[in-house]
Amino acid sequence: MIEIVNLSKRYGRHLAVDEISFEVQRGEVVGFLGPNGAGKTTTLRMLTGYLPPSSGAARIAGLDIFRESLEVRKKIGYMPENVPLYIEMRVKEYLRFRGALKGLSGSKLRTRLGEVMETCGLTHVRRKMIKTLSKGYRQRVGLADALIHEPELLILDEPTNGLDPNQIRAIRRLIQDLGQEHTILLSTHILSEVEMTCNKVVIIDEGRVKAADSPLNLISSMRRAGRVTMELKIAPEVGETVLPTLDNVTKVTSEPLQDGWTRFSVFVAPNTDTRIRLAALAAEKGWPLRSLARRNANLEEVFVELTRKD
Amino acid sequence: MRTFRILFFKELKSYFLSPFGWLICGFAALMQALSLSTTMKGFLDSPRSESLVFATFQAPTFWFYFLFLFPVLTMRLFSEESRAGTLEGLLTAPVKTWHVVLSKYFASYVTYLILWIPAFFHFKLFTIITNVPPPFSSGELVGVFSILALMGALFIAFGCLASCLTSSQIIAGVVCVGILFVHFLLGLITFFYGDQIDAAPFFSFISSREHLATFSRGLIDTRPIIYYLTTTSFTLFITHHLLDYRRWKP
Repeated sequence: MIEIVNLSKRYGRHLAVDEISFEVQRGEVVGFLGPNGAGKTTTLRMLTGYLPPSSGAARIAGLDIFRESLEVRKKIGYMPENVPLYIEMRVKEYLRFRGALKGLSGSKLRTRLGEVMETCGLTHVRRKMIKTLSKGYRQRVGLADALIHEPELLILDEPTNGLDPNQIRAIRRLIQDLGQEHTILLSTHILSEVEMTCNKVVIIDEGRVKAADSPLNLISSMRRAGRVTMELKIAPEVGETVLPTLDNVTKVTSEPLQDGWTRFSVFVAPNTDTRIRLAALAAEKGWPLRSLARRNANLEEVFVELTRKD
Repeated sequence: MRTFRILFFKELKSYFLSPFGWLICGFAALMQALSLSTTMKGFLDSPRSESLVFATFQAPTFWFYFLFLFPVLTMRLFSEESRAGTLEGLLTAPVKTWHVVLSKYFASYVTYLILWIPAFFHFKLFTIITNVPPPFSSGELVGVFSILALMGALFIAFGCLASCLTSSQIIAGVVCVGILFVHFLLGLITFFYGDQIDAAPFFSFISSREHLATFSRGLIDTRPIIYYLTTTSFTLFITHHLLDYRRWKP
């Protein structure tokens, strides 16, 4: 659906996007992650034809974004960052205008208007002026605008930015539903959201792609993936000398707890499970054991690992 | 053409579905009425050889309100969109840049033409109310409204250009007034320095003041028509490229 080859964007001396390449298949929901100023919005703006690339190329549904910009724009539903809307228009009026602009007319426009307002939960505010709507509703209007012409590809720039947790949930559920039949590229900072909604993640930093894979693969390839915590009633020094003698254990740290127990963090090589052997060891030595758990790494740690500056 | 029509009506609505358009209309009607009534009083005091139409549009008050109509009409066209960020939504929809430029231009131009409807009725009312033969001919009326339409075409284009340059409405308005003022002053050079200087024909060629005087005598001169139409097209061409340049600059 999207093929990006060595796409770059330069603002004067500043290189905002540096030869990024990645692909998105039809039907995928892709999370586009990166710290602030990593080049996410610039990349999305290039894809939607708002900014020209300085070099490189991208194709959407087989069409070149630069030469066939108008055709490409018909296939994209784009929701820009902060969702700019004509605030003096009413919701339905705005959506009708946008729908007509994107080539819908007559009964087709009327049915689509009803459908998107239903999908985005806007039916009861359709007569309100956009300037009287809360941020969450404006976000939904933006989404309805992106959806109205039944685009093959949805590009959403921080769709949940500035919403409260309930609204974030609602938007996330909407994205999950839409992901059934659309290809979606969404940029965001909220990593739990990506873990829940996306089947592919592209992480960029300083204009370069740092990783592009499914969230599960990314997490399992993480260095910190194998980390087991256990709580034993022994002195910290005892554990720190005995535990590292097991195979695949790379490092052990301890932390005395207030009730006389000690919590050990056991770092193990990736893709190994040491919990059974740890339990056996504790039994063999007669150490009281009350908790043993593998800490699963999450996308947040992957993100921090890939983009931290130190 | 369909896209142009949709955008055009959206822009036109944004003038008249808010108090904004009606306020300008009211202001223009008031100023037109004031200059007409002042001129009529002048006619009472002393006999004049010129017609009422000519005298009304030669009054200095005319230029004062006339030149301020354009920044008010045009300053928010592009600057407001780029400030609010809606330009991004507009230009990522399947529309061509010239659709955007021309729809905005023609919407404000049509609004400008609507502003002159009261003035037309003022002159018609004169005959109905006073019951004396009109102190002007219909040729003069046709002439003056054609030159107003022509000057408006160019000055609205200047306003579009100014609005395209910045994302601040105020700056757009000031730049527009600046351009109009310089254009007006260039036309006044022959008035100040006489027509003996070498460039005098040029300055009188672009002088809106002289065009207005000619046309309000009922003389339809083709040279100003060509002048206004070509400069309008050129200004719109520049506006189009400015808007595109912001998107396509390296």
